[in-house]
This record gives sequence, structure tokens and C-alpha cells, in this order.
Amino acid sequence: MAQIPNLENAPLNLKSIREKSQRELVNLLKDIRGTKCLVIDPKLSGSVSLIIQTSTLKELGLELRHLSEEPVQTECTKVVYLVRSQLSFMRHIASHIHNDISKAIQRDYYVFFVPRRSVACEKILEQEKVHNLVTVKEFPLYMVPLDEDVISFELDLSEKDCLVDGDVSSLWHVAKAIHELEFSFGVIPKVRAKGKGSVRVADILNRMQVEEPVNTNDVGRPEVDTLILLDREVDMVTPMCTQLTYEGLLNEFLHISNGAVEVDSSVMGSQQEGKKMKVPLNSSDKLFKETRDLNFEVVVQVLRQKATTMKEDYTEINSTQTVSELKDFVKKLNSLPEMTRHIHLAQHLTTFTSKQSFLSQLDMEQTLVEAESYDICFEYIEELIHKQEPLTKVLRLLVLFSITNSGLPKKQFDYIRTELLHSYGFEHVVALNNLEKAGLLKKQEFKSNWQTVKRTLKLIVEDTDTSRPVDIAYVYSGYAPLSIRLVQQAIHSGWRPIEDILKLLPGPHLETKRSGFPSSPSVDSLHGASNGVADGRRSVILVVFIGGVTFAEISALRFLASKEGMAYDLIIATTKIVNGAALIETFMDKQG
Amino acid sequence: MANVSVAAEWQLLYNRYYRKPEIYQMRWKHVDLSRNKVACASFGGPIAVIRDDSKIVQLYAESALRKLRIFNSAGVLLSETVWKHPGGRLIGMSWSDDQTLISIVQDGTIYRYNIHAELIQPNVTMGKECFEQNVVECVFWGNGVVCLTEGGQLFCISDFKTMKPYKLADVPGLTEDDMLQPSCLAVREPQYTMSGNVEVLVAVGDEIYVVDEDEAQSIRFDEPGGEDSEMGNDDYGGSLIGPVQKMIVSPNGKFLTLFTHDGRIVVVGMESKQIAIDYSCESALPPQQMAWCGMDSVLLYWDEDLMMVGPLGDPVHYFYDEPVILIPECDGVRILSNTSLEFLQRVPDSTESIFKIGSTSPAALLYDALDHFDRRSAKADENLRLIRSSLSEAVESCIDAAGHEFDVTRQRALLRAASYGQAFSSNFQRDRVQETCRTLRVLNAVRDPDIGIPLSIQQYKLLTPVVLISRLINAHSHLLALRISEYLGMNKEVVIMHWACAKITASPSTPDTHLLEILLDKLQLCRGISYAAVATHADNCGRRKLAAMLVEHEPRSTKQVPLLLSIGEEDTALVKATESGDTDLVYLVIFHIWQKRPPLEFFAMIQGRVLARDLFVAYARCHKQEFLKDFFLSTGQIHEVAFLLWKESWDMGKNPMASKGSPLHGPRIKLIEKASNLFSQTKEHTFESKAAEEHAKLLRIQHELEASTKQAIFVDSSINDTIRTCIVLRNNRAAAKVKSEFKVSDKRWYWLKTFALATIKDWEALEKFSKERRPPTGFRPFVEACIDADEKAEALKYIPKLSDLVERGEAYARIGMAKEAADAAAQANDGGELLERFRKTFSQNAIFDTLKMPFQGA
Repeated sequence: MAQIPNLENAPLNLKSIREKSQRELVNLLKDIRGTKCLVIDPKLSGSVSLIIQTSTLKELGLELRHLSEEPVQTECTKVVYLVRSQLSFMRHIASHIHNDISKAIQRDYYVFFVPRRSVACEKILEQEKVHNLVTVKEFPLYMVPLDEDVISFELDLSEKDCLVDGDVSSLWHVAKAIHELEFSFGVIPKVRAKGKGSVRVADILNRMQVEEPVNTNDVGRPEVDTLILLDREVDMVTPMCTQLTYEGLLNEFLHISNGAVEVDSSVMGSQQEGKKMKVPLNSSDKLFKETRDLNFEVVVQVLRQKATTMKEDYTEINSTQTVSELKDFVKKLNSLPEMTRHIHLAQHLTTFTSKQSFLSQLDMEQTLVEAESYDICFEYIEELIHKQEPLTKVLRLLVLFSITNSGLPKKQFDYIRTELLHSYGFEHVVALNNLEKAGLLKKQEFKSNWQTVKRTLKLIVEDTDTSRPVDIAYVYSGYAPLSIRLVQQAIHSGWRPIEDILKLLPGPHLETKRSGFPSSPSVDSLHGASNGVADGRRSVILVVFIGGVTFAEISALRFLASKEGMAYDLIIATTKIVNGAALIETFMDKQG
Repeated sequence: MANVSVAAEWQLLYNRYYRKPEIYQMRWKHVDLSRNKVACASFGGPIAVIRDDSKIVQLYAESALRKLRIFNSAGVLLSETVWKHPGGRLIGMSWSDDQTLISIVQDGTIYRYNIHAELIQPNVTMGKECFEQNVVECVFWGNGVVCLTEGGQLFCISDFKTMKPYKLADVPGLTEDDMLQPSCLAVREPQYTMSGNVEVLVAVGDEIYVVDEDEAQSIRFDEPGGEDSEMGNDDYGGSLIGPVQKMIVSPNGKFLTLFTHDGRIVVVGMESKQIAIDYSCESALPPQQMAWCGMDSVLLYWDEDLMMVGPLGDPVHYFYDEPVILIPECDGVRILSNTSLEFLQRVPDSTESIFKIGSTSPAALLYDALDHFDRRSAKADENLRLIRSSLSEAVESCIDAAGHEFDVTRQRALLRAASYGQAFSSNFQRDRVQETCRTLRVLNAVRDPDIGIPLSIQQYKLLTPVVLISRLINAHSHLLALRISEYLGMNKEVVIMHWACAKITASPSTPDTHLLEILLDKLQLCRGISYAAVATHADNCGRRKLAAMLVEHEPRSTKQVPLLLSIGEEDTALVKATESGDTDLVYLVIFHIWQKRPPLEFFAMIQGRVLARDLFVAYARCHKQEFLKDFFLSTGQIHEVAFLLWKESWDMGKNPMASKGSPLHGPRIKLIEKASNLFSQTKEHTFESKAAEEHAKLLRIQHELEASTKQAIFVDSSINDTIRTCIVLRNNRAAAKVKSEFKVSDKRWYWLKTFALATIKDWEALEKFSKERRPPTGFRPFVEACIDADEKAEALKYIPKLSDLVERGEAYARIGMAKEAADAAAQANDGGELLERFRKTFSQNAIFDTLKMPFQGA
């Protein structure tokens, strides 16, 4: 199965978007004659692998390398750098070129910026005196479809950049990407945003429509009905909790990156010891599509049930006689590889989930979210530090603790920080400072309003039946993610009924209607008559998470979309798929 | 019949008819072409006239100063200017493709004028050699020129856009020793040559050379094989043509027309080298002008006699009692005289089929039918019935013929015939009539003498409407250009934009606000127009204030911001860039200001603007740390400086040069202490200050430890790790010292020490430690350390001491003692929850094993 997802059943034609990016990249590379060495920044190479196969790239006469500080080892006289516009990469490129010059190697250099050239990056090239040696071009890759209903803008550092450094470049990028979507699918008429970044994106999006209008006559009736924008900052509680869906857990323990996990081949039942193998995870895998969004407990049951049926079929086969029965059986056998794959993965996961420490961590998360037993939580975290559990794990709980209590009292705040620095080293002062700047770990200044939010939005759902869920809370076994509760509200009733609650959460909110290019009113009314389910396709709601979204949240949204009485398909777009650990790590500058 | 009169004006050249309708009566007065040098642009372009300084002429009531006058094709004066350039006589003058008048004087200087007789700066020169040797002749083509110097050298500019002269190869016989004079020159345009470079044909003596940048090759031509031409003169033994007096290249570059020394006109193919026409004239005197008429015939002009020679048959003569100038076009030749402008062209096939005397073609009958119809004659119907089968063909011909007409009445008559026929024809492309009407309306509009662009339909199609419009706006006929682009559904932006710029240039005395109003009024007609471009123009015209007002209206910030910077509106630029949300633009502004202003001023400017400041900090963090320190210091953010110093200390530690135990620890510690001091200056950062202080202390202690243990394993580990290392090294005193130095809490101490002892498997010491006093953490650290080390027996020493029953149960479970675990769980008072959980975990792993079984065989 390929790592590049099959996008046949996407509610929007995401395939065309992917194909466009593919074409653009191939054309850029074809423009340079002859053999060349493509040096790609490692993170970007992951994104690129989701739009084009490596083999296709190699057919273009490319040698592939990853960008690092080390000089590029190649015979090619043409070196193409494919990089995101990050300042640090420019240094590498400059040092490579200087290295070649010192060795009197003559080469042609090309720098392809993704998604566009940047003044700051070129400034560095200028100051390093290599700007006149390179040909600069752009590869406008603003988004990558991860699956039928998920788009990623591939902005790993968005949350940290915005909250800590005040670098809001990612907001422009997000707006630009949405605007690109509008060029294909029409101007989105309704916008609902919550959070500083989201409101800003809505604003930039409107500006873009003025500057470079999407002509409604070209694209026809908008396929996307509503745009919901949500800042991660609004809900930092959810990502700090451990996701309990199948896909979520896979991500927590095995790190799904670019739609695949890498595991020891022994895990997958292969004989070769010590070798790593990649297991693609997307909806082209029927069984995964069926189970990814379920609570992991249920996945085990489902797998057992399927296996049992299969076993029965297998024993029956000895008694079957007719060809058609055999055919049926063979058809069933086709799902066998999928079955084995997921049984292996699930078993591997249980080795983590059955650990005592994991269970107590889950208990603690629940306690933290309920936010009613302060001392127990504090002592638990203190002990984690004393045991020197991994720092990300500690910080994750600590952040959860700080948010639900709107900070720690000064004395304990200082105490915990001292214990952290003593235990893990003083270099982590930067991480602490970053978290403080971002408001994730701070001194208590006023009373927490988490209780109100929790109660009003019914975030804690008792008696969750994970096998027959009626509420999104099943994805965290009893905690309904705040972010998705907000989306739920935005879909059903807009912001008005919950304005009081919104005011308790960080950032402003906004609800507007937009129109495309002023077209003749008669055309509008014509379309108005056929609103809703016009051509058998449901209207689409685009939910954008600025700062990242977790798999569990995506599962919750899919659950909403599949519920009866839901008139919309949902497409989720995010700066990056994240989990608590990944988010925390972005705040931990590599300083030490 | 009415048709007779039409055809009566035609001349027959062998089997082809030619016509020569008069297009304009020239509006000018007192212009004598023979006294002047004249340059006429093709495609009905302007005419430049200047008194010829190589001729002696009598001055009438006019100034002795020479004037360059530019007329449109109808002789309406467009502009004039006094010519007083140095550099000797004017050698050549011609219009380039973009309607710039290129004039070359003797010393090789090129003066360029636009259609408004304004000199375009800078003047260019053909080069040093031309200056020294003098230019004697030049030959132009649409986009380039070749000059011949007195020294017999050739220089070429092959693109008037770049204006780069270069020398062509020397021609044998023209070098200074031989001192031969070339008898004539011709140019094959780059677009028609194999090499893509210009080729110059030079006739020297008996030879013709093809010259390009690299070499000069002589070419020879063959007589038509076997065919003994009547007109041929065999004196030269067939293949020799002999000295040539004049030559020109055909419009498509495929043929060359030569006028030989003995009065023959010879047309040869450039590729085939075959002679296509060979005709002897009565006179051996070379014609004054020679031109191709389309691709079908060649015109030769002597005083008063214009002769047209075709491939076969007798030539046609036209007589003129005044001087004329031949202006070749793609489909004919315009003939300019002092009083009129005529267009000589082959009669188009469609026109011929309708108007030829005695024509019974369907088109002629259709045209006739309309005539009958107008006169209410029943014969109309008869005619129609005759041509029923070929009606659509007839309609097509009428439409086509209408297109070729210059006369509006005749256009109308033909179009009426077409639409009359169309009514009876079911399978005809109806929009053909419309399309031709539309084209004709445009053509008639520009043919108006006041505009004076007499384009034929073929020329119009070749020129394209876009170029026509750009010519119109160049000539400042903006209104017509606007109407035409509206009428043809083209983008009006070009026209309005040009108008706005021209308006600004033309109204230097109009006040800014008033002019802005006038401009906005028109600019708003066109959505998406670039206000920034107009503003740039205003700025270039020295109207910075107007530019600032205009750029305010530009919706595209990517265009607005750079312009604001260039007109010095840095503050506004920063605001607009920030509003746009495009951080790249903000960076653009930041770098601009950074470069232009002294640092302190720059700091003050960005300090108040959050986004700009943050972006600057992000950039400087990566690339300009020292400068960043200056920034933080000057804006009073002392703690940020402290963080930077602290960071530097780590960088220093990472530096491989700072090997362990080297004196570099000194500077590191100093940096950290300095950071600590800076932190202490602000109230909010006492925590950081203390941490830095501790960090410095730790480094010092670690340094000492490394010195005393002679092991470089301490520096840059945490306090916990330092203690742990001490315990592992069984240096309990040092461990205790670090503990007290940093006031390590008892709880942490117990966890630390138990695990450290477990690592070195010192179970005895561990037990001793457990008995020192009642552990403040309970016995959990001991249990966990032992379980982690996989020492069941040791763990069992401590498990019973666990006070919490649930914990105790779990601990038993972890070392696999299910029964004891269950007992403890049963005692625990939690409603059997724990028990349930045990059951689950114990059973789960078994599930998968059973699941996988059936598939192993499959």
C-alpha cells in the first residue's frame, strides 16, 4: 500500500490540488537540464513524499540528499536546494557554497523556496555574499492533503512562533492556503473564528479577496459553505491529554509522521531482526478507515471479532464445494494482510497501554481535567520530577495543571521550576521561559474559570460507553475535547448562544458573512433556490486549526460528521498534526 | 452596370489585376518630398520629414534652421522640433517597430525621437570606428540597422531595445588597400536567416557577399536551368550577373531583387540560388527606389515613371508628375506623393470575382441581386435561384471583399449583399458578418484623416489589435484607444494606465488634489488597475505628494509597500505592511529602515510596533546577536540581554575548543554571573537570577569535582546527575556536599539515592539507607528501584512496608506474584476496581496470541 493516500472519496477535489503541486515541482525541476543533485530539508522531504513518489523524482535524473551542515557530496555540477524559507537553512547553503569555492569546485546553485521566497532569507544569502551565485525560484506548496478529509499546511512551529516569538508568518500562510482553496472551490460565504490568530487569518483572507479576488463567475457556486477557524491556544487542555483512539494512540507511542509509522520489523512479525519498516496509515486501508477513530479498547474487540469470523470461514473452507463459495472466500482473504497488520500494531500498542504507569497517568489526566483535587495533582507531578521521568511527559502534565488552574501559586511555581532545573539541568530555563511567555506555565494571578467552562460545555461525560458512543467524549474516555465542543457549537448555532463562555477563553471571536465578487443579484437568487444538496454532494465545512490538531480531535469531528441529522461533510485543515509531546517539544529550544 | 466603374480602375499585370485607390489627399501644405529626407513607418504609421542637407535647395519663406516634422499618414502635423544636432550630415532615418524614429548622423551618433518629436535620452553611438571613419550609408529593418563606414567596415545594431552595436566581418575588396566602393547594400532580417543573426548583402564589383558577424561569403546564382529566357543576356556566360547597382530583399526574406549594371532586373531565390525573373529594362540607369509589392511583383521608380514588373508578362507603367515615395507593406505598397497617398495592391480574389467585368461568379450574381432587389426588380430572385447551391460561398466572398475595401459606401454595399444572401442561406456562420463589421468599424475609425492610420485588413490582422491600441495611446489618442478596447472587449487597463501617466506628465501645474480627483475618476473605471504603477510615475515626475496620495488607493500591499519605501514614506509602509499580515513585506520594510537609519533611530522606530519588533528579534537572534543585544539594551529589556548571555555560555560550552577542564570555564562562569546580575536588576526575574547564580556555582563545583576525581564527567550535567555520579563513584561526602550546597529536598534525595544505589547494585547500602530513618517518601522509591533493576528478592524486602494497600497490590502484580496481588487488592477498599484491572491486563496479551494463530498457516 502506498504512503500517498488515495483521495478518491474526498468531499472536495483534493486530488487536483495534489496534482497541481506535483506538476509544479516536476516542471521546476525539468527546467534545469541534465543531472542534478536535489538537496531537500528533512522536514520538507516528508511533506514532499506525500505529493510525489521518490521514484518519480529519481526518474527526472536527480540525486537526493538531505540538507544538513555537512557539505553536499555529489558529482553533479548542478545543485538544487529545496527548502522552506527558514533562516537557519540559509547558513547551511552559504557554508556549502563557500566550501565548494575553497575547493575550487564550480557548480550551478539553485534555491527553490517553499512556499515562496523570503526577504529575510535572501538577506542572509546576500550578507554571506552568495546571493549572486544562486538562482532563486519558488515552489508554492502551501498545503498537503494527508487524507480524504485532512489537509496539513506543514507548519511545525506555528504555535511556538505565534505565542513565544510573535512571528505570525504562519497566519499569512494559512490565509494564503485557504485563499488558494477558494480559487478552486469558491469564496466561502460564512466564517466563524475564535482566537487571536484565527480572527487575524479571517482578516487577512478578506484582504486577499480584495487584492486578488476570486472571480465567482469562474468557479461557480461555492463548494465550501462555512469556514471555522480555531486557535490551538483556545484549547491547550485537549492536546495535553493522552489520545485514546486507535490512531491517536499510535501517534502517542509510535509517532505517525507523514501518514506512516516506523516500527521494528519484528513488531510486524517479520523475521529480520533490528530492521525498521514503514507502515502507511491512511484511509486507503479499509480496515484502518474503519477502526482509526474508535476507542482503542473497542479496536481490540473489533479485531477479535473479525479474526474469529475469519477463523470460522477458514475452517469451513474444507467443507465448501461450489466455485462461488470459494470465490467469496478468496475475496475475504484479500483483507488478510490488513488484518495481520493491525493485529500486530494493536498488540504492540497494548505493551504500552497495559503498563501500570500509563494507567496511573490516565487517571491523573482525568483528575487534572476535573481540576478538583489540587494537592494530589501537585504531589503526583512533584514525584514524576523526582523520579526523573522524561521531561516532555512532566511538562505535559504540568501545563495541563497550570491551564486548568490558570497558573500555580507563586511559591509552588518557583518551587516546581527549581526542582525541574535541578533535576534536568539549567539549560531548560529557556523552555520554562518560553512556556511562561506562551501562558502555558505561569504564576497564578486570578481564579481559574476552567470549572465554569467545563460545566457549561459539558466537557466531562460520565458513563461513556466507548463501544457505542453517543458523544465525542469517547475519544478521551470521558473527556469531551473543548475544541470540538466549540466546533460543534459553531456548526449548529454559531457563536451567539455561547458568547459568555467564549469570553472566558483566550482571544477574540468573530462571525461574519462574506460575498464573492459582486455578481448580478439574479444569478445569486437562482442559486439560492437550489441551495443545500444540489448535485447529490453535501455542503462542506472547513475546520481549520491554527497551531495544530490531534488525531483524537479529528476522530471526534468525523464522529460528528457521521451523526444522523448532520447536513455537512467536514474537512479538517491544520498547521500540523500534533500531540502533547510534539507541542511541548516545539517550546524546548535546542539550547543546551 | 455599376461594377464596371470599379474594375475600370484596375491594371492588368499578366493575369493579375492591380488597383491603386487614393486613400488620402495630403493635408500638409508646402511639403516637397524631393527637398526632404522622409521616413515613413510601415503599418500606416507616421511620416517624418526633414530638409535634406545633402542637397542644395532654395529656401523660400522659411527659417534656415532645419525642422524635424512628424505627420500622420494623412499629412496632419503631429509634432515638430528644431534639428540642431552636431555630428555631421543626417545619413539615415527610419521608424522602428515600436515607432521610435531612429536617425543616424555622420559620426555614428544615433538620435531617437518618439512620435511627439521628443528626443529619447540617452543618445547612443555606433562606436568609435564609426566616429573616426564616418558613416556613409545605413540600411534599416524593423528592429535594427546596419551602417557602412567610409573605411568599408560594417556595423550593426540588431535590436533597438538593447542598442548594442557590434562589428560585422570585413568584406574582401572593401578594406583600405583595395579602396573599392560597394555599389549597394541590402539586409536580410534575423528572423528569416538560418543562423538567426542578421545577414548583410554587399555588392562589391562583380561579387555579392553575404556578411555576418563571423565571415563574409560570396554567393553566386544560377540562371533558370535549360530555359533560355528571351530577355536573358548571354554575354556573361550564364551564371554571372555582373556588377549590381541596386538590390532589395523580399518581405519574407526568400528572394533577392537585383538591378544589374546593364539594366536587368533579376529576382533570385536566396536558398535555391535560382533565378526566378530576369527582365531587361529600357534604361541602364539604376532606379531611385525599388520595392516589393506584396510577394507578387517588384516596383521600380525613376523620375516620373513607376514600373511594376511581375514574373511574367509586360510590366505596368504608372506616370507621376511629382516625386513619390514607396512605402512597402505586407500586402502592397503605399505611394506617397506631395499631394496624395495611394495604396497599390493586388486586387483580392474575392473583389475580383465580384467586380471583374463580365464576372458570373456566384458572388457577382449575389451583389447584382441586391442591386435588383433595391430596384424592386424580380430579377433579384432569379439571380438568387441561379446561385442557390453556392450561396454561402458567395456570401463569404462578399464579406471578404468588404473587408478589403477602403471606401465606406462600397463596404456597406458589399456587406448588405452578404447579409441579403445570408438570409437565404441556412448553413452559414452568422457571426462572420458581425466580425467583419466590427473589424471594419475599428479600421474606419483609425483611417479617419485626423488619426491617419490607413491599415488594410490584412495589415490589421498582422499587427494585432493589441499593438494598434498601444500605437494609439502612444500617439495620445487615448479616447479612441479606450473606445476600441471597450468595443473589442479587451482589457482597458493599458489605456487608462497610459492615460493617467500621460496626464500627470502633461499637467505639471495642476494642484495635487485636483489632479488626483481627475485621475481617480478615470482609474476607477478599471478594476484591478495598478495604482502603484501610476504613483511610481508621479514620483518619477517629481510629484511625491501626489504619489503618496495615489498609492493610498492601491489595494495590493505587495505593490504598495515597496513604492511607499521608495518615496520615503517609511512609517506608512510599516503600517501597511503590518496590516497586510504578510511578514515578508514587514521584513522588507525593516531591512530598508535598518539600512537607511542609524541604529538608535531604527530601534526607536520598531520598538513601538509589535510585529516589526518581534520579527526583527527573530531575525537577529539567528543572525545578528550582538546587534540584538544593543537593541535590548537601548530599549531597556535587560533580562533579554541576560538570556542572550546565558545562551552564549552554552554555545561556548558546546564549542569543541572549550575542552573539559580548560581555562575556558572561567569566561563561561563570568558570562553566567553577568547574566545573573542583569536578571537581578528587574523585580520580575529574581527566579532567573537565582537560577543563574546556582548554575555558576554548580559549574564551579563540577569543575572542582573533575579536578579532584580526574574524570571529565561532571560539567554540564544537572545537579541531580552530579549527585548521582558522586554516589555511583561511592563518593558519599561529595554527594552530601552538593546536596547541602543546593538545599536538595529530602524527598528528592531519597528518590535519587535509592535509584543510584540500585544502579550500582549496592543492595546492602540500600537497605542501610532504608533504615537510617523513616523515609519521607515512604518505601515506594525502594520498591520501584528494585523492580526496575529486576531484583524480585530485594523488592520483596520493601513491598510489605508499603502502607497503601492498592500500591502494595500493584507492586506484587508487577513482579508477577498474582496471588499476593489479589490478596492485597481484595483488602483494598476500592470496590474491586483494581481487581478488575488486573484481570484485564493479564488476559489481554493472551488474546493477541490466540488471534494470530489461525493466520500463521494461511
